[in-house]
Amino acid sequence: MQSTTVNLNRSEVVNVILSALRDVLESQGVAELPALDETTRLIGRSAALDSMGLVTLIVEVEQRLEEAFDLVVVLADDRAMSQTRSPFLSVATLADYVMQLAAEQG
Amino acid sequence: MHRQHIQWLIERMAGWATEPALIWNDCTTSYGELLERVRFWNAFLDEHRVAPGEVVTLEGDYSPAAVSLLLALIERGVIVVPLTKAVEAHREEFLEIAQVESIVHIDEQDRWQFTRTGRTADNALIVALRETGDPGLVLFSSGSTGKSKAALHNFARLLEKFKTPRQRMRTITFLLLDHIGGVNTLLYTLSNGGVVISLRDRDPEVVCQAIERHKAEMLPTSPTFLNLLLMSHAYERYDLSSLKLITYGTEVMPESTLTRLHELFPHIKLQQTYGLSELGILRSKSKDSGSLWVKVGGEGFETKVVDGVLWIKAHSAMLGYLNAPSPFDAEGWFNTNDMVEVDGEYIRILGRKTEIINVGGQKVYPAEVESVLLQMENVVDAVVVGEPHPLTGAIVTARVNLAQPEPAQAFRQRMRAFCRERLASYKIPVKVEIVDDEQFNARYKRVRR
Repeated sequence: MQSTTVNLNRSEVVNVILSALRDVLESQGVAELPALDETTRLIGRSAALDSMGLVTLIVEVEQRLEEAFDLVVVLADDRAMSQTRSPFLSVATLADYVMQLAAEQG
Repeated sequence: MHRQHIQWLIERMAGWATEPALIWNDCTTSYGELLERVRFWNAFLDEHRVAPGEVVTLEGDYSPAAVSLLLALIERGVIVVPLTKAVEAHREEFLEIAQVESIVHIDEQDRWQFTRTGRTADNALIVALRETGDPGLVLFSSGSTGKSKAALHNFARLLEKFKTPRQRMRTITFLLLDHIGGVNTLLYTLSNGGVVISLRDRDPEVVCQAIERHKAEMLPTSPTFLNLLLMSHAYERYDLSSLKLITYGTEVMPESTLTRLHELFPHIKLQQTYGLSELGILRSKSKDSGSLWVKVGGEGFETKVVDGVLWIKAHSAMLGYLNAPSPFDAEGWFNTNDMVEVDGEYIRILGRKTEIINVGGQKVYPAEVESVLLQMENVVDAVVVGEPHPLTGAIVTARVNLAQPEPAQAFRQRMRAFCRERLASYKIPVKVEIVDDEQFNARYKRVRR
């Protein structure tokens, strides 16, 4: 895999997720965007997205990480689904999960 | 010698002896000249001891030599295996499957070469057909999934319908000679005294030029080609006023392509066709030029829809596959695997059952999504496929060709906004790949792989 990933820092990843989230919500026609930050919930009752929105967000983040950082990761697979704490709970957990996958690629 | 198989056609052609039958490389061959060539081939085949029932490959395009040879082979009661450049990569495999015994190769200068393969065909279906003395035709299914299947037809049964006189048309032979649609176009045109206009290339520019130069009246083609024609604007550079009828088939027509075409050419009749290598071409009638609703059937065909899938029973059906078990049920019905909507006598074809994308339990037909994407600014072509995804079972992925470079992220955002008003949310592509290569095959059919 790519060695450029070493330079990736967590705040950049958070920014990628937040901007993707904003775009996905916007394209879903959400009139007034809620305040978005690391604590924003992605699944569950108070989630900002419906299930199609979540899939769209995950794939959008994957595509942006590849385009911006040459980082190829699969965020949704059996491994992600079997984590005791879902990586898709919030923006923060998703960012942590991206950092973990990136670190493994070294 | 069996010489009665197309006696009726030979007699008709003799009646049009001085009239044009075929235009190839801008040269015209009359019906009389074509018949002279048939007589030449009769002598040639005698000399090479090509017997009735022999399995013979004809490699070529719609040239005077190839067309007259096809007629001579049918007349002789040969089992014909037409092959074209489109299947070059599979040539050896196809010769093997069809147990081809001899080959006539016709090159681009219309010169020929005869070869014996040394093989003897002993397939049970071939042996059975030989016993009837009827000519045969072997067509290979496109085999989008897995191996190509070889359909063996009794050619006499396929020919029967051409005895009914129909419209005389100057026709572009767009579909290839080794395709059921190509064989159908050729025989339709010749049995009605029309003119076969062959193409050196199937690029929109070349096709438009041929229409203008030879005053073509009919263009049987594919939706993919028609989309390319619209995108290329080639129609603006040529006089296409001779064109009366465009027929389209072989894949689902995107609604947006049909609408655009109908707006641009309100005076050209747009007619959907439906056929399969296994069954032949059904008679069909579109509700109107702008409609995807179509009546299919006609003499010799019965249709039924079971759980949304179209089934057909055909008198002209193939005898069977040479390399696969019979696909017919006990009553002779064939499952087309095409999903359809029904409205009285009309059906609307939605797509192949195998290409349905199941997103969280909801069905997505690629053609519906492609039709929307094709309406977007800067999109030249679009192919939609499903991809497995752990959250929803599958996601919709779009592969698009763009006219001008555009950042992927901006395109996706624009696409989502465009689709939101036109598609249910589960149908909107989640993943987008911007591709450079053409996404269709040599038959101008979109490849969803």
